[in-house]
Amino acid sequence: MSRQANRGTESKKMSSELFTLTYGALVTQLCKDYENDEDVNKQLDKIVFSHFLPRGYNIGVRLIEDFLARSNVGRCHDFRETADVIAKVAFKMYLGITPSITNWSPAGDEFSLILENNPLVDFVELPDNHSSLIYSNLLCGVLRGALEMVQMAVEAKFVQDTLKGDGVTEIRMRFIRRIEDNLPAGEE
Amino acid sequence: MSRPVLRRPEYHKINKDLFVLTYGALVAQLCKDYEKDEDVNKYLDKMGYGIGTRLVEDFLARSCVRRCHSYSEITDIIAQVAFKMYLGITPSVTCNNSSRTEFSLILDKNPLVEFVEELPAGRSSLCYCNLLCGIIRGALEMVHLAADVTFLQDRLKGDRVTEIGITFLKKLDEKKCRRRK
Repeated sequence: MSRQANRGTESKKMSSELFTLTYGALVTQLCKDYENDEDVNKQLDKIVFSHFLPRGYNIGVRLIEDFLARSNVGRCHDFRETADVIAKVAFKMYLGITPSITNWSPAGDEFSLILENNPLVDFVELPDNHSSLIYSNLLCGVLRGALEMVQMAVEAKFVQDTLKGDGVTEIRMRFIRRIEDNLPAGEE
Repeated sequence: MSRPVLRRPEYHKINKDLFVLTYGALVAQLCKDYEKDEDVNKYLDKMGYGIGTRLVEDFLARSCVRRCHSYSEITDIIAQVAFKMYLGITPSVTCNNSSRTEFSLILDKNPLVEFVEELPAGRSSLCYCNLLCGIIRGALEMVHLAADVTFLQDRLKGDRVTEIGITFLKKLDEKKCRRRK
């Protein structure tokens, strides 16, 4: 006997815990596959989604399309606007947090994102034998890949990490150059 | 500096896409590690089990589910509360036997496969979303319910819908479920 079928609704939102735990499973699996932390960090940074799309894609490259469609942000005129959009729109949308933006370089080409609360690391403690692991390094790869698709070559790296005992988690973003060519990017 | 052990996380609502892509990366990594689909499926189920045993605590704390009197109530809660909370979808529920121990969750839309165009060549037996089966199984076990959870139909394999079958294995004792908070 079947009950009345519930048509079902879909929302774009979910609670973050399942993501946090799934991300933990991914990092754990990479730690099994690669002997040293540096290799795991590298894998997290360039993470590809290659099996299930015609070409390999860095996650950020794939995510940016959705982000631009969904967020209605216009073209950014300078790196400061870009920083604002990253912190106040993108991080909010995908991780539910709003990092603060600090430590601008005098030339305006570098800034820091300070994450007081990083949902990826809820309940995570780095084991002793993984003290060099940059657990959330996926975020750097995502930021880089996404910005590449809007013609910006940037460097993103963790300079502080609460998992390593620092008071906050800090991602340093540096603008390298504008990408002039419109080649399809993301193939790793 | 060590963090307090029982730090309560804030509850964040997030857009699904980063999760969906990360899930794809996880499956892709397992496909690199295991040649046979059966092994990937098994591993996904096992990982899901571990996740389910932890997720259920969060779920029970936040959802205030009342005491359940039947497997159908439990299945309804999985579909209407848990799936809604963690995946933003509400599968429909059907009961598949007269003793009311076998149910199906029908997923019209499955967010996990949004960026997946098709299963790669040579991976036709891959249960891409098998993590979900493990999660349900692990979560149920933490509330003292044994169940088999498998994909009965899969859109990625050409079926019309995606269907997860839940078969409860033990008789439910009267006072097994969580109390009302």
